[in-house]
Amino acid sequence: MTKATAARGALRAMMRTAPKAMVRTAIVAGAAALLLGGCGGGREQATLTVWQTYNDEESPVFREIVASFEEAHGVTVEVVRLPFAGAEPKIQTALTTRTEPDIARVDVSFLAKLASKNALLSLEEYVPREFREEILPVALSSCVYDRQLMGLPDQTNGLCLFYNRELFRQAGLDPDRAPATWDELIEYGERLTDADEGVFGIGVRNSLWWSLPFFYTHGAQFLSADGRHCRLNSKEGIAAFQLKVDLHRKHGIEGGAWRSGGIQNDLGFQNGRYAMILNGPWAVENLKRTGIDFGVGLIPAGPEGSRTNVGGNNLVIFKSTKRPELAAEFLKFVASEEIQRMWATRLGQIPVNVRAMDAITSEEHPYLAVFAKQMETAIARPQTPYYPEIENLMNPEMQAALDGTKTAKEALDAACEEIDDLLAGE
Amino acid sequence: MEAQPGIAIRRALVYVGLTLAAIVVLFPFFWMVITAVKEPGHAFTAEVLPRHPTLDNFRRVLSDFGFGRYFLNSVIVATTAAFFATLFASLAGYVFAKKKFFGRDKLFGFLLASLMIPGMMYVVPQFAIINAFGWMNTYRAMIVPHLANVFGLFLMRQYMMTIPSELLEAAKIDGAGEWQVFRTIMVPLSIPIIATLFLLTFQFHWNNFLWQLIVTNVERLYTVPVGLALFRSQHEQSYTLIMAGSCISVLPIAALFFFAQRYFIEGMTMGALKG
Repeated sequence: MTKATAARGALRAMMRTAPKAMVRTAIVAGAAALLLGGCGGGREQATLTVWQTYNDEESPVFREIVASFEEAHGVTVEVVRLPFAGAEPKIQTALTTRTEPDIARVDVSFLAKLASKNALLSLEEYVPREFREEILPVALSSCVYDRQLMGLPDQTNGLCLFYNRELFRQAGLDPDRAPATWDELIEYGERLTDADEGVFGIGVRNSLWWSLPFFYTHGAQFLSADGRHCRLNSKEGIAAFQLKVDLHRKHGIEGGAWRSGGIQNDLGFQNGRYAMILNGPWAVENLKRTGIDFGVGLIPAGPEGSRTNVGGNNLVIFKSTKRPELAAEFLKFVASEEIQRMWATRLGQIPVNVRAMDAITSEEHPYLAVFAKQMETAIARPQTPYYPEIENLMNPEMQAALDGTKTAKEALDAACEEIDDLLAGE
Repeated sequence: MEAQPGIAIRRALVYVGLTLAAIVVLFPFFWMVITAVKEPGHAFTAEVLPRHPTLDNFRRVLSDFGFGRYFLNSVIVATTAAFFATLFASLAGYVFAKKKFFGRDKLFGFLLASLMIPGMMYVVPQFAIINAFGWMNTYRAMIVPHLANVFGLFLMRQYMMTIPSELLEAAKIDGAGEWQVFRTIMVPLSIPIIATLFLLTFQFHWNNFLWQLIVTNVERLYTVPVGLALFRSQHEQSYTLIMAGSCISVLPIAALFFFAQRYFIEGMTMGALKG
């Protein structure tokens, strides 16, 4: 038998088993899908397009706000909901082809990046001074880049101290009173910690953003006024960070929540491992659902009092918009007293409009009232387009100090040197 | 016969080892399922098994959040893209493996070199093209840019080179045309690698997040990964909903692995040519 005839035998056997039917079905399905794809386009012309990143609870409320704006102005607003995680690359890609929307909701640090790339419309001539005075100053300052107003806040938040009332009771502490100062926090922590049981007074995250309350309560500045130099290794900065390191290394009341692979602080708080953590107003609803008995207090005071940093989101208008006045109206509408009052009461969030602050009563919103009070002494982050890069330089150094491989001063000096190089390399 | 006890012990050890490995591999799936039936807020509480198991997360995911639509979109996109990418890769692989033409190896080397370019580099230029075509918000935009797959070409070519050319000659003697040779010899003999490539491309498209998000501006065209990402906001994640969505999202991949397994094994035992 030659090779060729043997092969022919094998070949015939195979022809019988070829999964023809399967292939045929797949071709039909594929072709149908490509045709179907054609009907994806064609929607009615909107006068304004808004890309938003609200969560499941906020989105329906935002849609109502949009509907009343549409009615008031006789326009159509197209709203696209984006996942927070993909919004930045999507906006950046859209900008390269000029397909960006009129308005987008962006994080505080992304605003600076967009403004530095000259993508945003300055609102200086669209938002009058009287209106700006209604906006919470720290939130408004997060929209200012290079002394120009580049957006309006739609949501603001800061950090407070969450504490487990049940663990406070067990340690013989007053469950209605959070520690007022860092010294008191250490004292409380020592009574709450039972290292053998795996229970610690506090859990802290490592990153710079989560460390800013330590720095700010000690009066440390983040960047110099011109935004070109890191100031976290000042005398105050080192003292602040030393305190954070000491919570773990010296006093042993911190459970290692900053470690990769350690019990993360939200998790530890939910399971009674950490009696206290820093967290924002977004955590309140979820913690209520877990059924643990917790309270919220102001950030413990340092030499400069009780201070938090500020996060949140702003609405911005892209330069390419064809309807700048209408877009600016929309931003003002969202930040207006009436809408913010509704937003705050419906969703339990801090209003960005100071006139709506009275909507947050301590009877109805006991936790939120504390946050609202904390916002009065909040400190805005300096506007730099390099904030994510600064975090990337700072965090490993801070980790080294928490690990004990560097002193607080060595870590901050090293990080600040790298950050200065980054800021100078502009 | 005297060697038997040793073999039995060895076999027992192998089973113990494999069981441990299976537990390690399956644990995340176990955790996914039990989290999906927990009440919101209880995802990380100390209870390992949910005290009050609920199907509410599945109900919310499917009815309140339109996950069914995302799922359908993903099925259409991943199936079509995987099918055509595999088809094109096998056609091209056949040519590169079995045909001689001017500059073949140089061209192949050139194509291979393009594997060195990170995928992210393509996003912006591809998006510009899609946008210029007016393909925003279509399935085409999600499918077409990924149909030419150099990695798939490489995989198919290498495999098809091992198929003896005698088989092709034999078919030609029998009067088979070019298309028939491809369809009746190359494809059936390459089924293991075709199944593998189909699975890999299907999985790639099933998990593709950024591209699908960038080319769609309407929620009804979102795919499963984009839909899942909507459950994560800036500061918090709805873990129970994410896990319910994930349970639904792993089904096609699991089913595909289950069915494709047959072809992997067949590929190893199939001996078409002897002597």
